[in-house]
Amino acid sequence: MLEVTGLVVRYGSIEAVRDCDLTFDTGTITAILGANGAGKSSLMKAISGLVPAAAGTIRIDGEDITALHAHRRARLGISHALEGRRLFHSMSVDENLRVAWEFRHRGNDFKTASDRVFERFPMLATRRKTPAGLLSGGQQQMVILSAALIHEPRYLLLDEPSLGLAPVIVQQIFAAISAVCRDSGTTIILSEHVAALALSVAHQAYVLKQGKVVRKGAASALAVDASLSAAYLGG
Amino acid sequence: MEFTLQLAFAGVCVGSAYALIAMGLSLTFWTTRTLNFGQGSLLMVGAVATVALLGAGVPAVAAVALAIALAGALMVVAERVAIRPLLKSGDSMGWVVSTLGFGLFLQGFVAKFYGSQAIAFPSLIFTSLDFVDVFGIQVSAQYLAVLTLSVALMVAMEIFLLRSAWGRAVRAVSHDADVAALAGIPVRRVVVLSFVASGALAGVAGVMVAQITGTVDPQFGFNLMVLGFVAAVFGGMGSIVGALVGGIALGVAEKLAGGFISTAFGDAVAFAILMAVLAIRPQGLFGRREMTKV
Amino acid sequence: MLRDKLAVLSDARFIFALIIALGVAAEFVSGSTVQIWSFVLINVLIAQSINVLTGIAGQISLGHAGFLAIGAYGSALLMKSLGLPLPLSLVAATLMGAAAGWILSFAAGRVREFYLAMMTLGFGMISYEVVREWTGVTGGVAGLPGVPSPALRTLNVFGVNLGEVGYFHLMLGVTAIVLWLLRNFITSPYGRAFFAIHVSEVAAGSIGIPRAGTKREAYTLSAALMGLAGGFYAHLVGYLGPESFHLHRSVEALVMAVVGGLGTLSGPVLGAALFTYLPEQLQFFTDYQFMVYGLILMLSFVLLPRGLAGLVLPRTRFIKRLTPLRSADADGRGTEAPAAIPARDDETTPLLRVSALAISFLGLRALDDVTLELKPGHILGLVGPNGSGKSTLVNVISGIYRPDAGRVVFEGRDITGLADYRVARLGIIRTFQDPRLVPGFSVRENVLLGAHRLYRQNQLAAAVDWPSALREEKRMLAGADKVIAMAGLSALADSIVRDLPYGDQRMTELARVLLADPRMVLLDEPTAGLSEGELKKLALVLQHLKQQDIAVVLIEHHMEFLRDLVDEVVVLNSGRVIYRGDMAGMYRSAQVIEAYLGGDSHAAAPAGGQGGRDA
Repeated sequence: MLEVTGLVVRYGSIEAVRDCDLTFDTGTITAILGANGAGKSSLMKAISGLVPAAAGTIRIDGEDITALHAHRRARLGISHALEGRRLFHSMSVDENLRVAWEFRHRGNDFKTASDRVFERFPMLATRRKTPAGLLSGGQQQMVILSAALIHEPRYLLLDEPSLGLAPVIVQQIFAAISAVCRDSGTTIILSEHVAALALSVAHQAYVLKQGKVVRKGAASALAVDASLSAAYLGG
Repeated sequence: MEFTLQLAFAGVCVGSAYALIAMGLSLTFWTTRTLNFGQGSLLMVGAVATVALLGAGVPAVAAVALAIALAGALMVVAERVAIRPLLKSGDSMGWVVSTLGFGLFLQGFVAKFYGSQAIAFPSLIFTSLDFVDVFGIQVSAQYLAVLTLSVALMVAMEIFLLRSAWGRAVRAVSHDADVAALAGIPVRRVVVLSFVASGALAGVAGVMVAQITGTVDPQFGFNLMVLGFVAAVFGGMGSIVGALVGGIALGVAEKLAGGFISTAFGDAVAFAILMAVLAIRPQGLFGRREMTKV
Repeated sequence: MLRDKLAVLSDARFIFALIIALGVAAEFVSGSTVQIWSFVLINVLIAQSINVLTGIAGQISLGHAGFLAIGAYGSALLMKSLGLPLPLSLVAATLMGAAAGWILSFAAGRVREFYLAMMTLGFGMISYEVVREWTGVTGGVAGLPGVPSPALRTLNVFGVNLGEVGYFHLMLGVTAIVLWLLRNFITSPYGRAFFAIHVSEVAAGSIGIPRAGTKREAYTLSAALMGLAGGFYAHLVGYLGPESFHLHRSVEALVMAVVGGLGTLSGPVLGAALFTYLPEQLQFFTDYQFMVYGLILMLSFVLLPRGLAGLVLPRTRFIKRLTPLRSADADGRGTEAPAAIPARDDETTPLLRVSALAISFLGLRALDDVTLELKPGHILGLVGPNGSGKSTLVNVISGIYRPDAGRVVFEGRDITGLADYRVARLGIIRTFQDPRLVPGFSVRENVLLGAHRLYRQNQLAAAVDWPSALREEKRMLAGADKVIAMAGLSALADSIVRDLPYGDQRMTELARVLLADPRMVLLDEPTAGLSEGELKKLALVLQHLKQQDIAVVLIEHHMEFLRDLVDEVVVLNSGRVIYRGDMAGMYRSAQVIEAYLGGDSHAAAPAGGQGGRDA
């Protein structure tokens, strides 16, 4: 279980996340919804350690990780795929996976680990030697997911995985996200601007507005909730 | 013709040393987008420390190794004192000035305690009178040793970067430090590693160039740093092969200008090339244009 | 507080008295003291030179000794070989420095940051090599002896033999005039433009300040000062050798300016005095000079970021002490809008017409066939998910990006691909997602930057405080007061922007837009980070713009805010216009709902946009 209590994130004089409490149950998918600038990315970066928490605590299974560096958290089993398809463009698919694996693997060898992710995304297996920068957007997103999954993390944070992708690819990606949660019991935190898409795979959801949690609940309940559109469109 | 070829060959050898300096500058640039404007003083420290240790009776191999280690250690100090505190401002002016100050401090230190006059640098492997015959051209053994060692080090570096976990980590941090940290890479340790390696490379280059020139003085290294930077810019601050090609082109141009116009003119030509390259193609001949962010 | 007590030091009357006192005292003190005072004056010019370029315009230089050499050898040779009189040879030295700076700016203006540092280092080294090797002209390593000098009693000005004190008086007078001109200049729009370039070239462009031209001015001015210092130096010492123009001279210049305080007027004067006296007075300092300089450069940015001046002296002003001109006495003209407003066509004619714009980055289509129109006095809301192309569209209109296809027509004129500062000069003023202000400027100084496109007086008039330039400045100051009041910042007008909360910074930026007397305004997420009270003020300002017949484009996510303001919304998704019309219709548009909320028909998302209205 991942618990966030009283979290505050600040950039200079701007408060991006204001006193947020969130709980993510083991083996579930949680959607984080909200308009641009609502604080979704900052929340996720604070959980993975890329930005410091100005206040509040982050715990995984009761252990306080608030003071740990991002790379220590990564080794504890937190994977975070950033928004904007950030991977190592000049490295091949294989190298991307190897970099993701070699500093945090737990025993198993690279071949076994990479074969397992290629099972999930067979089309990548044929492009192992291709520089990641030359792949299509959808394939890049698959590399990012593979890199995030290669050491079998306990927690997977996905920031806007559908952004800029063709709908058919989006469906594949989301199918894979569901499958990861189902098969490996990974706890997944998913931020999406396409709310219905996120809610279709999530168990529960939080809605953020101006850095604050304004709604939480079961995904099925939120899916029909009119206040959702208000959080997005402000109406 | 013979004269021209000899000049060209000397240029290739000296140029390979420039490329080595370029590699030292590029390493820290990759991991932190900064480079040490006092790098020249680390070349000087490498050479002066070697002379001092040899004078104290330390065996040659140990003396060189210690001098190189000292240069590497000083670079860690430079990172801690002159670079890290100034990265927050987001402006390069702070660390440019402070690393320049770091170099000047070392220069002043050596001048104060070892004198500002040139001191003789002993022959380590070959003497300046040893010549080898290559395709009918008399070639200085010292120059050949510099070329061989430089190229070997660069190949080793390329292999390290491409094949080893820490080499990949350097590339990962260079490309996107956030993503690297999320992959479990200890970014700070990679940065420190890159600074140690950068300093050590400067030390090696210092010893090699001093071997050729035969003397060192406190100002030794400053021009070399700028020339190394020219080579690095040829490679777009990113490519080792580019730096090697750039360094060699620069070395040959410098030696030819020096041989046919006047010795001192060689440096001026090299600096003119620097200004021209920067003005025409700031991203380097081998580099790719960075996307402008607004 | 020390700073208050020392305020007198920057008082004009005190400085004038000091200059007179120094001039008189020189008659009575020893020859060696006059000599040191003379070196202080030269170092003042040198430190101001690097301050203008590096401290004010933000262009680092590690090769400034090169300009010094040009001035020194230039003046020495003109006088020695051609027999030019001293005043002329000094003017020539200044002009030669200026010309060298102007030429260097073409190469140096293309690079930034540490690339620029390396390039200027290269310039300094070339200059040194040339001085050393061009034996026929400079005397090479042996040096150039016998330069006409007061110490040798060989310096004649119009038949009068100039002694050391006389030469000091000449330098004192010229330095005082130079400092006066500099003060006038940095309190003028052109001086403030240097700071704007320093902080952000893109932001400077958005208010009509050309980056290349402004940098060229900075290089020319800085190098002219250095040339003058070189001329003075040559005649003071009577002998020139290459070692005086080595790297350490450039470093010394930097040390004086950095320790004194970059970006201030008084700092370099302090630094120059300090670093002329220290080596004279302290043997220790001479012994360890390089180590001390090294330590100073290494630590001063951390320990003393604003230099000695920042520590003890009142802040340098970038505005003249003038009474703003009220509209009544503004010789018949309004307090704002000095620019002629072009005759307007028929009300229905659009001010802006964007047609079929397309642009790609690395193969990604950021804008695809975007067409829209905007009438004067209309407010257009630009809406869409992250990465939908809103900012890109604003960047294309404002001239930051050149589109791959399509046209931007403003007031009937094709402005596609026009440089950003030219677009701004036409009256299209934009803001950025983050406020890009000069952090060390006061609110008023920042707001005045907005008027840059309206100034008609030239740099020369600004530097000598010509009456017409002062009148213009008074008019602008009155305008600034008015827009500052409108933005609710009157109480904060003299506060330094760096110390203000985010919301006030945004309002400052808004006031700067207003002062530009725009014809069209593009605001990129203006509500971000604003409080409820500030939002109301923003809305009032926008309504004011509308009444003035100014067109507004608002990139916004804050729909409640848009609802009461906009005449029309355009929704972008994946670079395409998916909706154009009123707010109510937007909420009903299937495509918009899909873009934001997704849905079963997600697969059909951006199809059929074509820039047309949603049926």
